[in-house]
Amino acid sequence: MVRSALGRPGSALDRGPKRFARFIPAWSVAVASCLCLLPIVTQVGWFPDFGFLLLLAWRLLRGDVIPAWWAAPLGLFNDVVAGGPIGLSVAIWTGAMILLDLLDRRTMWRDYWVEWGLAAVLILLHDLARWEIDGVMGANSPFSTAVPPLVIAILAFPLAAWAASRIDRWRLGR
Amino acid sequence: MAPPSSARPGWSRRAQYSLFFSFLAAIAGLLVGLFLLALSLVAPNSYAAVRGAALDVTAPVTGALREGTTTIGGLFSGAGNYWDAANQNAKLKAERAAMQRQILQARAILQENRQLKAALQLREKAQQAVASGRIVGSSFQSQRRFAVISAGSGDGVGAGMPVRAAEGLIGRVIDVGATASRVLLISDQANIVPARLLRTGVAVISTGRGDGSIDVRPLEVGRNPFRRGDIIVTSGTGGLYPPHVPIARVVRLDDDGAIALPMADPADVSFAIVEQPYEEAALAEPPEPTETR
Repeated sequence: MVRSALGRPGSALDRGPKRFARFIPAWSVAVASCLCLLPIVTQVGWFPDFGFLLLLAWRLLRGDVIPAWWAAPLGLFNDVVAGGPIGLSVAIWTGAMILLDLLDRRTMWRDYWVEWGLAAVLILLHDLARWEIDGVMGANSPFSTAVPPLVIAILAFPLAAWAASRIDRWRLGR
Repeated sequence: MAPPSSARPGWSRRAQYSLFFSFLAAIAGLLVGLFLLALSLVAPNSYAAVRGAALDVTAPVTGALREGTTTIGGLFSGAGNYWDAANQNAKLKAERAAMQRQILQARAILQENRQLKAALQLREKAQQAVASGRIVGSSFQSQRRFAVISAGSGDGVGAGMPVRAAEGLIGRVIDVGATASRVLLISDQANIVPARLLRTGVAVISTGRGDGSIDVRPLEVGRNPFRRGDIIVTSGTGGLYPPHVPIARVVRLDDDGAIALPMADPADVSFAIVEQPYEEAALAEPPEPTETR
């Protein structure tokens, strides 16, 4: 009986971490950045920044899978693919990682709601910075136009967290 | 998850150093990011090559995906066309007859116009298309309104050229790759188009609002010249956009201007046509058609 359990493919015994398990989180963030290549032509830009959401989800799920400085090349990739002002995501993503590193020393306890709150605050800062830079680049608008995508991004964070946890289980072979 | 009691990863010097250096690297990454951002704000043209190359890599992906979605969409709308075909046929025939009468009228007016212009010795340049491409994607994650079209410098497209569709104005080219380019749509807040009210000829300014609609204001302060349903066309002022291209239709009035919807919806138009700037001088300077005579 034990032997048959060993031999069956997909059984719990012969599963282990995937080969490049260390790099899968960063890869998944890059792939999420590429979602902006979907052929969606809209008149409003209300979709969230998928790469940023997944980066936050990974960072809040596990503090060590994406070293803080990896956010810089990932952000550069996001900028180049999405066609935003180059350097914006680099600065915001790395800043968010450093901020979370510093916050990790302060927080006494963590639960799901605290993580969602942290993510909401970081998404708000992200959108504020983007809105500010858009204004500097000549696209002045009241912040009210940026509120619907902000709300959508905050509500979409649990989805990103779920995706990160599923990818995490898959990459560790659990 | 219980937080670590301190930032020290343990007694291992190696682990402590690696944590410290990774922190330094993150700070360096942040500084590099801020520097890159400052550069793209101060000198936006410095990344033109990078952005163009990225467009060349990414636009074919989007284009291929777009092909699939339009095929699937076409199946549904094609099936819809067969539904109620007899009624549609009758309606189209009636429309066609009305169009015929209008065309005859228009032809007479055109001829008269030509004679009058010849009498006035007015010369007008014919606009010729540089290239045409499909709209494959848009910036659906950002408040800025950009679209990607499948025509690039290989087809003769250059930065600053106006882009239109049969239905109306779309915007102007801002990033150029070899096979694809990025267009600043007229619904972007940074795109300011000198325009005219078609009904009365009043000069107005059209500015995007970032949510798909367009804000139109008269140049002269006074009575609100707009009415619902008014058509806004380009005036040709500034030399970038050709005159008489439809921009938008007024849907709502506010206190001193109006909100309009673009005539050419980038999601619907089949082809985007890139044209030469109306006057060549407009490309020599950075294309900023805000000044008005």
